[in-house]
Amino acid sequence: MTNVIGNEVGLSTFVLASPFTDNDAASFDRVADMGYDLIEVCIEDPSLLSANWIAEQASRTGLAVSICGAFGPGRDISAADAETREGALHYLKTCVDFAATVGSPHVAGPMYAVTGGPPMRDEAQRVEKRSRAALGLGLVADYAAGLGVRLAIEPLNRFETDLVNTVEQGLELCGLIDRKNVGLLIDTFHMNIEEKNIGDAVRAAGDLVFHVQVSENDRGTPGSGHIPWEQFFLSLQDIGYGGPLVVESFLPTVQEIARAVSLWRPVAASMDELAIDGLAFVRSSLQPSQD
Amino acid sequence: MFRYTYNTLVYGREPISIGIERVALAGYDGVELVGEPADADLKEINAALSANGVVASSIVSIFTPERDIVSSTAGTRQKAIDYVKGNIDYAAVLGAEIVTFTPTACMKIVPESNLDQEWDWAIAAATELADYAGTAGVRLALEPWNRYETYLITRTVQALKFIDEVGSPNLAYMADTFHMSLEEADIAASITLAGARLGHVHLADSNRAAPGFGHLDFRPIISAIAATDYKGWISYELLPAAGDVWGVLDGPGAPEFKGPYTEAAINHTKAIVSELGLD
Repeated sequence: MTNVIGNEVGLSTFVLASPFTDNDAASFDRVADMGYDLIEVCIEDPSLLSANWIAEQASRTGLAVSICGAFGPGRDISAADAETREGALHYLKTCVDFAATVGSPHVAGPMYAVTGGPPMRDEAQRVEKRSRAALGLGLVADYAAGLGVRLAIEPLNRFETDLVNTVEQGLELCGLIDRKNVGLLIDTFHMNIEEKNIGDAVRAAGDLVFHVQVSENDRGTPGSGHIPWEQFFLSLQDIGYGGPLVVESFLPTVQEIARAVSLWRPVAASMDELAIDGLAFVRSSLQPSQD
Repeated sequence: MFRYTYNTLVYGREPISIGIERVALAGYDGVELVGEPADADLKEINAALSANGVVASSIVSIFTPERDIVSSTAGTRQKAIDYVKGNIDYAAVLGAEIVTFTPTACMKIVPESNLDQEWDWAIAAATELADYAGTAGVRLALEPWNRYETYLITRTVQALKFIDEVGSPNLAYMADTFHMSLEEADIAASITLAGARLGHVHLADSNRAAPGFGHLDFRPIISAIAATDYKGWISYELLPAAGDVWGVLDGPGAPEFKGPYTEAAINHTKAIVSELGLD
């Protein structure tokens, strides 16, 4: 049996500080000291962060960087009105610029719509919205291709979006966008809610798995809940996934984040403990098996 | 050993007599009814129940923003209490044993007041309602909801603390495996922890479809329920894969939740009961 080897393991800045800014240099040291290979920087407010600063910190601490977007109010590439779409396009291009400068292979996240937007009651409305998402993300993908950056689109569970919930729907959207540098970010927290079989979903995505986030069923420390981890890691082996795996959770102490992801309670004794135990769990799950 | 019932909420606006017949034909012993007594035709329900040889098992309370037990508006809190009393009366007249209870409006995920104040309001309301239920010969079942549907009581440990604080034999703990799949590290262990306090059960798979259509392993869950010496109902609250469940039910509906899931759910559990030698 071949094994998943050489994957970088990362930590999301959502576990450390929100919004993440140019004042958070110490976070790079914390992540590196814990033994992570990579830091996933979430571009919440581009005006508070500079790509060159991230690149400097990364090089100082020896960390690789993954760039992920945050799609709060206003950042809606599939909005009906052109001005909102234009704003989202501008934000996504900014994220691509960040990725290119810091050496992230991708921009990742649920970039097809605003997260937690109002529900659409009409299927025709949803089809239109998906078409607008495909059109806009096609433009972003072309811009990104010129800079050697890929887009990793993240399906979210039903309570956070009604546009792309499953890997199957994610692949449909990739098909509509139809660009070689467009694939998926898969996140075990969302998959737990939406996928009938998590391993089958990973295998269905295959080479289009560009990026992976690991999170427990309650957003707690990976390995502490009931996600079928063995099945998940075996499926990553099956598809020969060689990309990064990022431990993601959220700070329940930050009001905006608590509201955005409906997380009101601490999911581990401390965020440091979650990060350290999560890393150990992911590393041991990636260990070559004995047979 | 278990008694089975199916929640007709997912049947949407279909006439209730059709739903009752479907549930009975699939082999259930009871029917779980939506707590909207003002819209219900008792004659029609009773006729359908007796014609099909099933009973009303339980009433599912629907907590809209106007029925919020911990609203910062006193009038709304009172309306919520009155609403649950109405469901208790409804249960009593139908002979149903259980009324579900959750002390926030569904989908409200941000507290209006501070959490200690809301907890106190919820305790006071539950104490009053448990007394009322006891007099009516009905039990309230406290259902934790997942983080996207409430913020106050999402986990078993919180629910048990709440139940112990109220300290009434008429307030029980209710397990819903869909919510638990988001919030509990180990669903079976949480049911074991509830023990004798377990008073009602909603089974649904990880994606809220019928058991067997998602990825939960129901064997340890059924086993844990049986080990509590559970004498209540096994119900199925299955709902479409949408944040806006009402939009789906009012609009295109959820046809697979009628015949296919109604039949599949009970058969799935019965197969496990038989496999585990619990029957």
